[in-house]
Amino acid sequence: MPEIQLLRASAAASGLRGAKAEGRGFLGVDPVTQNDALLARELTRQGAQVYRAGDTLVGYAPNHEQPRQAFLASTSADPEPIRAVLAFLSTYQRCTSFVAMVPAGAEAAKAFAGCGFEQTGVLRDHRYQSGGYQDVLVLAKGEVPCPS
Amino acid sequence: MMLRGYRSGDHGLLNGPWPPGELLGLPLAEWPALAEPASVRPPTDDSEELCVVPGAGFVRYAEIDWVHRRARVEIGLRPGHTEALDLLMKSVTTHGFLGLNLHRLHGWVTPAANPATGALESAGFRREASVPGNTWFDGRPVEREIWAVVRDA
Repeated sequence: MPEIQLLRASAAASGLRGAKAEGRGFLGVDPVTQNDALLARELTRQGAQVYRAGDTLVGYAPNHEQPRQAFLASTSADPEPIRAVLAFLSTYQRCTSFVAMVPAGAEAAKAFAGCGFEQTGVLRDHRYQSGGYQDVLVLAKGEVPCPS
Repeated sequence: MMLRGYRSGDHGLLNGPWPPGELLGLPLAEWPALAEPASVRPPTDDSEELCVVPGAGFVRYAEIDWVHRRARVEIGLRPGHTEALDLLMKSVTTHGFLGLNLHRLHGWVTPAANPATGALESAGFRREASVPGNTWFDGRPVEREIWAVVRDA
């Protein structure tokens, strides 16, 4: 896997814009309907961290009500960058459960399936894109024991 | 159960003993005596709509997204005002769909807190997804469900 590097919010926004269709729905943001400043503000508001590994962007946002849980997102079907983020979150943030909300039909669903995420539901008509409402899949990886 | 807009005099209705961010927050019988009540802040911009049921509680349309036309709903009812839930839920969906012209209303439901799912179902809400360990409740992380209602075409 190529080296993984942390991006600042503004760099993450332009990276998502470069990811084209796969950047839509990344942690709930949408580079088509939001400009870079708004993307950066929204990622900062969530406390999200975004990383680049080659052409892939992966990121997480903490669940503020339950700090042992994180919401994850990715822009490609490659599971390796997600594995790296999962290992980081379990070791350094002591996260024990992970959730991904992926637009139906997005490549990222395959990556999360490859990392042991299971589908726990479908949010009907959660997004409006290309002239119609689209579903969002909820994927979860539950209760990994805390390593320490 | 008529909804009206929030005024600063309604500040006392914005907190109570229910799980934070709950779709239908009803007072919990066994609320720890030392725990701070859950509370919401008065609105500061147009990303949310805060309504009150005079003297009884609040209804908050949070995270309103005008592109995807959806909002996350939070309701909090003070102790002693939990009757007529069906009527309240009907007002909530009517205002969301016809007043705000949204397409989808969703919210978090905590099964461990014995939610009034009958009132949600009668208003058209359906359980869509379950998220394990999503909130801290009664000394441990517990599952939370996402319930939602979608406006008919």
